[in-house]
Amino acid sequence: MGKYLLRRILQMIPVVLGTTLLVYALVFALPGDPVKAMFGDKPVNAAVAAQIRAEYNLDKPFIIQYLLFLKNALTLNFGNTFSGQPVIDEIGRAFPVTIRLALMAFVFEAVFGVIFGIISGLKKGKWYDSVILIVSLLLISVPTFVTGFLAQYFLGVKWRLLPVTAGSDPGFLDLLMPAMVLGSVSMAYIIRLTRSEVSSNIAEDYVRTARAKGMSNRSVIVRHVLRNSLIPVVTYLGQDLGALMGGAMISETIFNVHGIGFLTYQSILKGESNMVVSIVTLLTLIFVVCNLIVDMLYAALDPRIRYA
Amino acid sequence: MKKRMLAFAALTCSLAMVLAGCGASNTAGSEDGNGVITAFDTEPQNLLVPGNTNESGGARPGTLLFAGLVSFDAKGKASNEVAQSIESNANATQYTVKLKPGWKFSDGTPVTSKSFTRAWSYVANVKNAQKCSSFLSTVQGYDDLQKAGSLKGDEQLSGLKDVDDSTFTVTMSKPDATFPIKVGYLAFAPLPESFYKDPKAFGNAPIGNGPYKLEGWNHNTEIRLVRNKLYKGNVKPKNEGVTFKIYTKVDAAYADVQGNNLDVLDTVPTADAKSFKTDQNVQAYNQPGSIIQMFTIPSNLPHFVSGTQEGTLRRQAISKAIDRQGIIDKVLNGTGTQPVDFTSPKTPGFSKGLKGKDNLVYNAAKAKELWAKADAISKDNDKFTISYNSDGPYKAIYDAMVNSIKNTLGIDVAADPMPTFQEFRNAVDKRSIKGGFRSGWQPDYPSAENYLFQEYDSAAAHGSGSNDGDYQNQKFDQLMDEAYAAPSTDAANAIYSQSQEILLNDLPAIPMYYDNAHGVAAKGVKGLAVDWQNLPVYSQLHK
Repeated sequence: MGKYLLRRILQMIPVVLGTTLLVYALVFALPGDPVKAMFGDKPVNAAVAAQIRAEYNLDKPFIIQYLLFLKNALTLNFGNTFSGQPVIDEIGRAFPVTIRLALMAFVFEAVFGVIFGIISGLKKGKWYDSVILIVSLLLISVPTFVTGFLAQYFLGVKWRLLPVTAGSDPGFLDLLMPAMVLGSVSMAYIIRLTRSEVSSNIAEDYVRTARAKGMSNRSVIVRHVLRNSLIPVVTYLGQDLGALMGGAMISETIFNVHGIGFLTYQSILKGESNMVVSIVTLLTLIFVVCNLIVDMLYAALDPRIRYA
Repeated sequence: MKKRMLAFAALTCSLAMVLAGCGASNTAGSEDGNGVITAFDTEPQNLLVPGNTNESGGARPGTLLFAGLVSFDAKGKASNEVAQSIESNANATQYTVKLKPGWKFSDGTPVTSKSFTRAWSYVANVKNAQKCSSFLSTVQGYDDLQKAGSLKGDEQLSGLKDVDDSTFTVTMSKPDATFPIKVGYLAFAPLPESFYKDPKAFGNAPIGNGPYKLEGWNHNTEIRLVRNKLYKGNVKPKNEGVTFKIYTKVDAAYADVQGNNLDVLDTVPTADAKSFKTDQNVQAYNQPGSIIQMFTIPSNLPHFVSGTQEGTLRRQAISKAIDRQGIIDKVLNGTGTQPVDFTSPKTPGFSKGLKGKDNLVYNAAKAKELWAKADAISKDNDKFTISYNSDGPYKAIYDAMVNSIKNTLGIDVAADPMPTFQEFRNAVDKRSIKGGFRSGWQPDYPSAENYLFQEYDSAAAHGSGSNDGDYQNQKFDQLMDEAYAAPSTDAANAIYSQSQEILLNDLPAIPMYYDNAHGVAAKGVKGLAVDWQNLPVYSQLHK
C-alpha cells in the first residue's frame, strides 16, 4: 500500500506540470490585451500601459513568462493580481468558502442520494419510487441555473425561508440553498445509481443465502446489500467532490458566493494568467487526491480488491 | 470488517464536523449598524488610490472617500468644496487656487496646497503608472514626466507652484477653460503625506477628506464606509454610513433588493428590464442619464469618408434609417432616451434645439432619398457591418438596429459580434474593423468638453486619445480651441453647442440613445435621487 501511495504521489508531478503549461498557454492565447482593457473606453496612456506590462512581465515572450511563473511558484510566490493583491491571499479568501459550499453539497447529495436511492431500490414499483424517479429525472434534465433561479425566487424572495444570497462571510444557513442547488444534479444521479445497484443486488444468491441462514432483514440489507451497492456510489462521489469544487461557478454566481469558481471566471476575463493557473493547479491536486482516496476506500469496502 | 465500516463512518463524521464549524460563523456575520445603507458594488479593479481609479467599482466608494477642490450637485453643477476660489487669467492658461481653512484628512492631518500639488504630480508621473495620468496633460511639465526611463517617480509637475499652505498656482501648457470643473474629478483628489510612504498600504486602507471614511475593506466581499466627522464640505449625509456589498453578478443583487437584503442597486439585469418598473417588491427609478451610446463609422471607410459629399449623405441616411424610439421601447423596455446631441441631458449647457438634430430622427423616406443620392455619386455594393462586444448586453440592440437599417434602405447590413471587450478594444486600437463599431461614453466630469474633445478632436485621433474613428475637421478643432480659451463656462458652452452642429451634420459617430439612469431600491429606503454620473446620491439615502 505504501509503495502504491508513493507511486501515485510521484505521478502527480507530471500531471501538475502539464496542466499548468496547458492552462498558461490557453490564457496567453486569449485574444485582446488585458492592460488596454483596464482603461475601458478611455484614452490609453501608452507609457503607463508599458509600465504596467513590464511590472507583470507581460512584455516578455510566452515561454519566459511561464518559466518565471514556475520559478516563483516553487518558492510559493504566486505573484500579484492586476489590482496589487497577492494571488495567494485572494485564493486563501475564496478557497475556504468554496470548500464549505462543496462539502455541504457533497453531504447533501451523499445523504439524500443514498437514502432515497435505497428506499427506491428496496420498494421498486411503489408510488414513492415513481415520485423519486420523476423528481430525479427533473433534476437531471433542468439546467442548474434554472433550478438556482427558481430556488432563489421562491425560497428566498417570495417565501423568505432562506437568505436570498450568501453575502459576506457566509454561514451554514447562507450556503444551504446554493449547496442544495449545486448538489442537486449529482444527488439525482446517486439516487438512480443506488437504486439500480440495490435492486439488482437484492436478487443475488448470497442475499438469499443470508436470508435462509435466518439473518434479520436489517442485517441482510446493511451488511450484504448496501456494502456491495455502495462501491460504485463511492467512486462516483469521490470524483464528484473534485467536480463540485470546480463546478461551483454557476451556483456561486447566482447566489453571490465569493468562492473559487467566481474568482476563476473573473480572472479569465481579466487575463490574469497567474491567478488562473494557480487555481487550476490547486483544483488538479484536489482532483488527484480525491481519486486517490476513492481507490483507498475501494479496498476498504471490498476485500477482494487488492493493490500491490 | 467492522473496522473498515468504522473508517467510512469516521470520514462522514469528520465532514459533518467541518460543516458544524462553518455553521458557527453564521452568527458572527456583520450586522448592519443603525442607519447604515447597503449599496451594490463590484470589486474595485485596483487599490483605492484616486489617480488609479477609472472604473465604477472603485469610483463608487472613491467619490465618497475623497473631496476635491470642487464638488458637483446632482445636476452636475460645480461649486467650491475644498477650494475657496479658483481664479483664472484672461485666456485660461494660469489658475490661482485658494483653499478654505481648516480642512483635515480623516487621520487628522491638514489639507494643504501640497496635498494637491504633490498628489497631482504623482498621478502625472508615468513611473507611478496611474491610469488617470492623462487628465493632467494640460498642466505644464506633463510631457517631461512621460519619459519613464529617466524618472524616479517623485518628480513634480513644473506648472504647479505652492505659494503658501493654502494657495497654489497652476500654469497650463495650453488654455484649458474646463480645468475648474475637471478638478472635481476623483483623479484630482488631495492625498495625505502618509500616502507616499507606502502607496500600497494606503490603497488598501485609504485616508481621504470626503464625507465618509473607510472603516474596513474585506476584499471581494464588502467595503464599509462610515461618516467622517472631520468633513466640512457641501455634502450633508443623511445616514451613518454606506456599506458597499460586492457582487459578482447583477442578478444576485437584484434578488437581494427584492428580498430587502440590499438597499440600492444602480442598474437592472437584462432579465428584469421589462418588469422592474412594476415590481411590487422594489422601488424603481428610470430617468434620462449621462451615458451616450453610439456607433462610430471610421472616417476613412470607403464610401463613408468624412467630409466628402458621398460620405456625409450615407452617414445621414444610415442615421435616419434607425428607428430609435422603436428600439428603445421594444428592446430596451424604455430604459433609454432618444438622443438630440453628442453629450447628454445631464451635461450643463445641454440644448435640445441644435441645428441638424433631425439627422437623429427616424425618417424612412428621407433616408432612402439620401442613400440614392449617394449612390448616384458612386455606387456602394459593399456589405456594411457594425461590430460590438458580445460580452455586454448589446446583442438585441444591434440586431434590431441592423434590421431597421436593412429594412429601410434595402442594403446589405450585418451586426458583427466580437466575443470579448478586450478583443473588441484591441481591434478598435489597431483600426482593423472595416465597418462601424460600438462606442459609448460615460463622462468623468460634467462638461461637454469631456465628451467632445476626447472623441472628435484631431488631437485625440490616431491613437493619442479616444477619437477612435480618426475624425478630423478643422472648423471643429478651431471651436474646441476657442472653447478652451473661453472666459467663462457659459461662453464655453455656447461654443460647444456650435461645435456640435458640425458633428450633427458630419456624423463621425451615430448617436443611438442616452442610457437612462435606472435602478432599484429596497422598499422603505428614502431619499432616492440620481446624480450626473447615473449613480444614486448615496449620502442622501436613509431608512
